[in-house]
Amino acid sequence: MRYVKIKGDKIYEFLERLKNYGKLYAPVKISEKFYDRKEIDDVGEIAFDYQRTIMPAKKYFIPPCEEMFEIDMEENEYREKLEEVEPFVIFGMHACEIVALRILDGVYLNEYPDIYYERRRKAGIIIGLSCLPDEYCFCNLRRTDFVDIGFDLFLHELPDGYLARVGSPKGHKIVDENPDIFEEVRQEDIDAFRAFEEKRQEMFKFKGNFDNIRYILELTMQDKLWDEESEKCLGCGNCTMTCPTCRCYDVQDIPEIGGKKGKRIRFWDSCQFRSHGLVAGGHNFRETKRDRFLNRYICKNSYFYPLGTSYCVGCGNCTYFCPANIDFQENLMKIRGREVIHE
Amino acid sequence: MRMKIGIHGLTSCYGCQLKMACIEEILEVAKNFEIVYWNMASSKGEIEKVDIAFVEGSVVTERDEEELKLIRENADALVAVGSCAIHGGVQGMIFGEDYEEIFREVYGDSLIDYEAKIGEPLRKYVEVDYCLPGCPPEEHEILYYLATFGIGSYPEEKDYPVCAECRRQGYPCILIEKGMPCLGPVTVAGCNAKCPGFNVACIGCRGPVPHGTAWFDSLARTFKEKGMSKEYIKRRMEIFGKQYEKLDEMIEKVFENED
Repeated sequence: MRYVKIKGDKIYEFLERLKNYGKLYAPVKISEKFYDRKEIDDVGEIAFDYQRTIMPAKKYFIPPCEEMFEIDMEENEYREKLEEVEPFVIFGMHACEIVALRILDGVYLNEYPDIYYERRRKAGIIIGLSCLPDEYCFCNLRRTDFVDIGFDLFLHELPDGYLARVGSPKGHKIVDENPDIFEEVRQEDIDAFRAFEEKRQEMFKFKGNFDNIRYILELTMQDKLWDEESEKCLGCGNCTMTCPTCRCYDVQDIPEIGGKKGKRIRFWDSCQFRSHGLVAGGHNFRETKRDRFLNRYICKNSYFYPLGTSYCVGCGNCTYFCPANIDFQENLMKIRGREVIHE
Repeated sequence: MRMKIGIHGLTSCYGCQLKMACIEEILEVAKNFEIVYWNMASSKGEIEKVDIAFVEGSVVTERDEEELKLIRENADALVAVGSCAIHGGVQGMIFGEDYEEIFREVYGDSLIDYEAKIGEPLRKYVEVDYCLPGCPPEEHEILYYLATFGIGSYPEEKDYPVCAECRRQGYPCILIEKGMPCLGPVTVAGCNAKCPGFNVACIGCRGPVPHGTAWFDSLARTFKEKGMSKEYIKRRMEIFGKQYEKLDEMIEKVFENED
């Protein structure tokens, strides 16, 4: 792998240059506590120390709501709504989010690729950014805390700048075309990178891994923990909407008055909603709130074989954004037989 | 042949009808549907056979009840429009209280020429085929319902809460962040989380999520953990949710070991 360094005082110039490669999106503070990614005009607004965004990066590839095509009955025509996607750059993606995107790739880009997703994915440049975990993070247990593929550049924080790993031809291009921004990595940078990684590992709340969790989960589906926790659940869907790998959508046809024209839209759906499990004939695969609650645990912990990981990347969003304070990580720890002590 | 529709108002603020009258595509609607009855728009028209009757308001008088039954007999499909028609509305808030006493307090000895009752949703009196929620409903939903009926289909009713739309809009969650008494988690979606988007806690005006999936108990617990009193929680949830099945029981359960 190719490694280069960006000196601290050049980072804003680097961000300016990124605009040459497409529309720049980066995390900014949107309220007292929350961050989200927005299109960046002034690079000084970018939040480098953000922990998580309320909308996961999936929003750039599967928009919360999109029109797929329109139908014209008079002309007997059907028109795709997706034009060519202009290149864009997502800055500041954490390791877990990059793995999450690769999971979405596995779902959307199989032998029947989703063209809407595919076009956007090809147009997107991914710039990763290192992070330090808070109490909600458990990417270490999911083995997604360090990412080795799926980005164009990945920036690791140094005391006086960033060590950048180059992960793709597009990444090489950015480095090659901006020689004044980048410099050689020195021994002290390597030492600092090592120290950062050490410190980071020490900071995770729990050590070890969650490799066996899906089996334990399957064996404990009758546990009363699930009665108690699902009882607390609001069924609001915040957990799935803020999850970087939740990818369920619903499709709806909207006719115009007169029925001559219409459009098909799709939008983020959630397994926490009643209609998600409803099929023709009125049968519902997940009739109770408990069924729906547990479904997310089963889905997130099942095995995504192309990457050898679970569908959960341990970002902690579902816990952080749960209005009912239901702790996903702790619940998994509990069924594993660990006592969770609150300070 | 154009589909025949009737638009009716029982006891309510007539806001739903006003909303229907103000939709941008009203001329398209008039062109594509034969509006045989709409008291708000024209004093002409009798209640007669229609394909679809849209009814706003709740049943508060005997006259409402009679009118509703006549509308039902004459309509192939009946759509309850708005929170009054679907849930009893704000006037349904006194459900379960001593009606005689409230009536005396409001009207005193005045002579009222009709028999009044507690505001109740249409489904207590007649069969309701579809619900078009809102207070008032959103323009895009009114159009969607009309357009689907117009092509011989029917609308897909939302069965999920405002939170879903709030997250899709990318708004910060004011319930988590500011501890505001937001009823988004129990209120049916469709408004695109307008109020939370302006930092105003959802008051539940669109009514509870249907099919028994409005978890007032879980939300009362969440509110309680944020320090809100039982009385406050109850009053807030009752504004539009008073007649939701087991609302009282759900709130009581959360506070049962404290009284």
